[in-house]
Amino acid sequence: MVTLDEIADLGLLQKPSGNEPSPLERSESNYKPLDSFALPKDRQYQQQFADIYFLRLAKIKPAVEAVANAAWEDTFLGGETAQQMERVLDVRQGQLCWVIGTVYMDMPLKPSVLEDVSKDRWISAPITTDHYYTEDGGESMMLEDDSGRIRLVGSILKDYFVVTGCIIAVMGTENVNGEFEVIDLKFADLPPQPARWSLSTPSSSSTAKKNTRKIKNEDVEMSDLAQASKKIAIVSGLEFSGTDTSYTMELNLLLEFLLGDALHTPVQTELSQISRLIIAGNSITKTDDATTTTTTTTTPGPPKKPHTKKYGYDSSSYNPLPSQLLDTFLAELLPTMPITLLPGVLDPATASYPQQPIHSAMFPKARQYGPPPAAAGGADEPPGWLDAATNPWEGEIEGWRVLGTGGQNLDDICKYVDSEDRLGMMEAMCRWRCSAPTAPDTLWCYPFQDDEPFVMKECPHLYFVGCQPEFGTKIIEGPQGQMVRLILVPSFAATREIVLIDTETLDVSRVKISA
Amino acid sequence: MDDYNKLLAENVLTEDKVVTYRLLSRTLQVHANTAKQMLYEFHRTQNARRPGAVHATYLVYGTKNAAGGLSAGQNGPDGDIDMTSSAPEVESLADTVPILTLSLVPEERLNESLAEYDEVSSIHVYSIGPHPTKDFALLADAANEVLGLGAGNDGNSIATITNPWVRRRERQGAGPKTAAASAVKPRAKPIVSKVAQALAPAKVKEEAKPPQPAQNTADKTTSSAPTKKPAPTLKRGAGSGGIMQAFSKAAAKPKKAQPAPTPPSGGDDSTMQAMSDDGEDDAEMPQPKARRTSGSKSRKEREEALKRMMEEDDDEEEEPSEKEESPVEEPMEEEPPVPELAKEEETEIGTTSTNGRRRGRRKVMRKKQITDTEGYLVTIQEPGWESFSEDEPPPRTKPKTISSTLPVQAASKKGGQKTGQGSIMSFFSKK
Repeated sequence: MVTLDEIADLGLLQKPSGNEPSPLERSESNYKPLDSFALPKDRQYQQQFADIYFLRLAKIKPAVEAVANAAWEDTFLGGETAQQMERVLDVRQGQLCWVIGTVYMDMPLKPSVLEDVSKDRWISAPITTDHYYTEDGGESMMLEDDSGRIRLVGSILKDYFVVTGCIIAVMGTENVNGEFEVIDLKFADLPPQPARWSLSTPSSSSTAKKNTRKIKNEDVEMSDLAQASKKIAIVSGLEFSGTDTSYTMELNLLLEFLLGDALHTPVQTELSQISRLIIAGNSITKTDDATTTTTTTTTPGPPKKPHTKKYGYDSSSYNPLPSQLLDTFLAELLPTMPITLLPGVLDPATASYPQQPIHSAMFPKARQYGPPPAAAGGADEPPGWLDAATNPWEGEIEGWRVLGTGGQNLDDICKYVDSEDRLGMMEAMCRWRCSAPTAPDTLWCYPFQDDEPFVMKECPHLYFVGCQPEFGTKIIEGPQGQMVRLILVPSFAATREIVLIDTETLDVSRVKISA
Repeated sequence: MDDYNKLLAENVLTEDKVVTYRLLSRTLQVHANTAKQMLYEFHRTQNARRPGAVHATYLVYGTKNAAGGLSAGQNGPDGDIDMTSSAPEVESLADTVPILTLSLVPEERLNESLAEYDEVSSIHVYSIGPHPTKDFALLADAANEVLGLGAGNDGNSIATITNPWVRRRERQGAGPKTAAASAVKPRAKPIVSKVAQALAPAKVKEEAKPPQPAQNTADKTTSSAPTKKPAPTLKRGAGSGGIMQAFSKAAAKPKKAQPAPTPPSGGDDSTMQAMSDDGEDDAEMPQPKARRTSGSKSRKEREEALKRMMEEDDDEEEEPSEKEESPVEEPMEEEPPVPELAKEEETEIGTTSTNGRRRGRRKVMRKKQITDTEGYLVTIQEPGWESFSEDEPPPRTKPKTISSTLPVQAASKKGGQKTGQGSIMSFFSKK
């Protein structure tokens, strides 16, 4: 309960005093992006997708093996000792054993390319169904490796989130039907976590602009962490729209909040500690065109063709306003704050995972803060002030390893599992050591040949997923003391919320903007 | 200090506008916090004089209490409802974290909104307007006005939070505004004009120089103007400036105002030569015509451009003519009867109509006879480009070219003069 009288002395409800407040200075952002998910410029799409599964299994299997060995070694059950089988095909009926492989979920509603081909359906947009499972069951789970595949049964499977593409170890026996009765199953669990500041250095000694004020700030950080630690702001789903203006005011307030124009000096000082903004996908709303194509999935057919063929820019089919609004937003904010921009499912970037950065041509005004054009490949070049990044994106911010996505990976997993526990699924992804297990099965993906970047080689300290229906956060811990802060970043268009993360404690707070 | 009172009275009371603190801050170039106080003071004094004269909206920032959140969900805007309904679920799944709420509150609802807060860490006047704020969309328009202003000026002088580490791109790509050739011109001109002045006298002695607009303007569109003798290939590539050529040419010509015919492809050498032909034509017309795009350019600039143009084409002409003298010459001398035999079939392409005159190029098929290596007389047909304008008799009985590539040089040989330019002159004067 607050009344106006109590807060009247907060400073701004009075006459102009005549003395101008001194300008505040924003904290430096210590930032080192990793290009783990950058694709080569000359991409080939001729290859098969099987290599991804092969590479993933090869990369994660040792870790799963270690976990399974530790757990099941000398397991004595029903007069039998469990033995490891190298390959799925080696499993013999009635023999207690454990085996490692890739899960494949066969689900009734899952899109199937074979079905598309046989029904002569050629569509260019990904099919979007709400979920792949059905209420009455009908799905089956298989375990496969390069030798073969075996059906998994058992009630324990219901206790875990399991989706296509994750690598698990299962212990049990093959029954008379040729199915594998699972008694227990194990994941790789969290990968090793790098120490803080493993890639970057904490002090800003490299920057010549370091001044006394900065030193003072750092001293404060050493002594009193809670007071002056920096913050990162994460927002997703800004969804600048050419038609829907219902939350324009909120976007304005968000801009003023981040700029530090709003509010009064003590709060502005706090806001000046926000050293970086991460936009986690869906900066531009889908056009009406896109909605029609996604909703017509039940009656697939060629999209309505325009009457006349027109090459180049067609103002009747393209509304430039959303990208202009985004550009203005970025250009306003960039002078005071560096921005990392991840593409999302609605953004004008590649459709398949990993999404490549939004091209700077989309930001005629903001791109002057982008990386220099020749910087491609230059290792010692500092990243762009506006860093158009990949999705997923990995990097180090203030020494913390950060992994973030625009949300497609989690959304796709949610279609497999009849649950709303998105945080649990995020946790499961970390424990599977795979940030996009359902690629390439149901999540469109580049056909990798030599590397499987979705395997988490190193455990992030902070893992955020953008464009989610609501906020959520928790900390999970690993067997070797790893700590991961998981954050579901809500879509701003739906919730009007942004997330602030303290870069010393990784504590999270939310800011809700209501106009 | 009274500036703001006057300004606000004008905008709010007279012009019925909504003024936000940011707009005021940008307009008066004062700190945002000062602008907020100005709004408050104006609101206070006006309402003291006449209650209800101006209406304010407040921006409140702080922590809401749980009950307050609920009541906001009931009577607040739709955005709140999702949050309150989802809040219990989130709590069960995840850590609870502090939620700070930034809300925009009309004056009339300020007290009840404040009641929803546990703690308010900041409050200030966001905007004042002549009417109670009902629809925040109107406020958004007012707030958006600032975006235009902010982009225009430097912004740093009044930014609340500055960032000393900000980095911009060293070499900015051609922005939307610099796409036009105008940005390039100032840089290119001094060098060129100097060169042009140095070279002009010598040329004048030789003969009158017909401008060669196509090449010149092509040069202008690329920024390679300083190079005196650019490779022909470079020009060709740059020749695709299409419409730009037409405009810049018109702007660059002080005496004559025939914009160049825009070449359909801007491609090959013959195009260039054909247009130089046109340029010559223009040079002979004494009276100036109306210019289209020259309004923005000063006379001096135009003169410089002309000089440059002349200088350019001179270099241009000499080089290829020397190179290609022999191939052109050969057929000419070998086949004297060609002119008589030649017959033209015409197709018009790329006609443009400027200043009431029709000009363009047409494709003509020419027959010519050559003696082949075995001594036989062979008649071949070959396509050639020919440019025309309306005031010329459309079917030219006199064949201009033999080789399709270099009409100018071919003509020059017939005229019996040394250089390409001279030949063109004589060609036209014969007519």
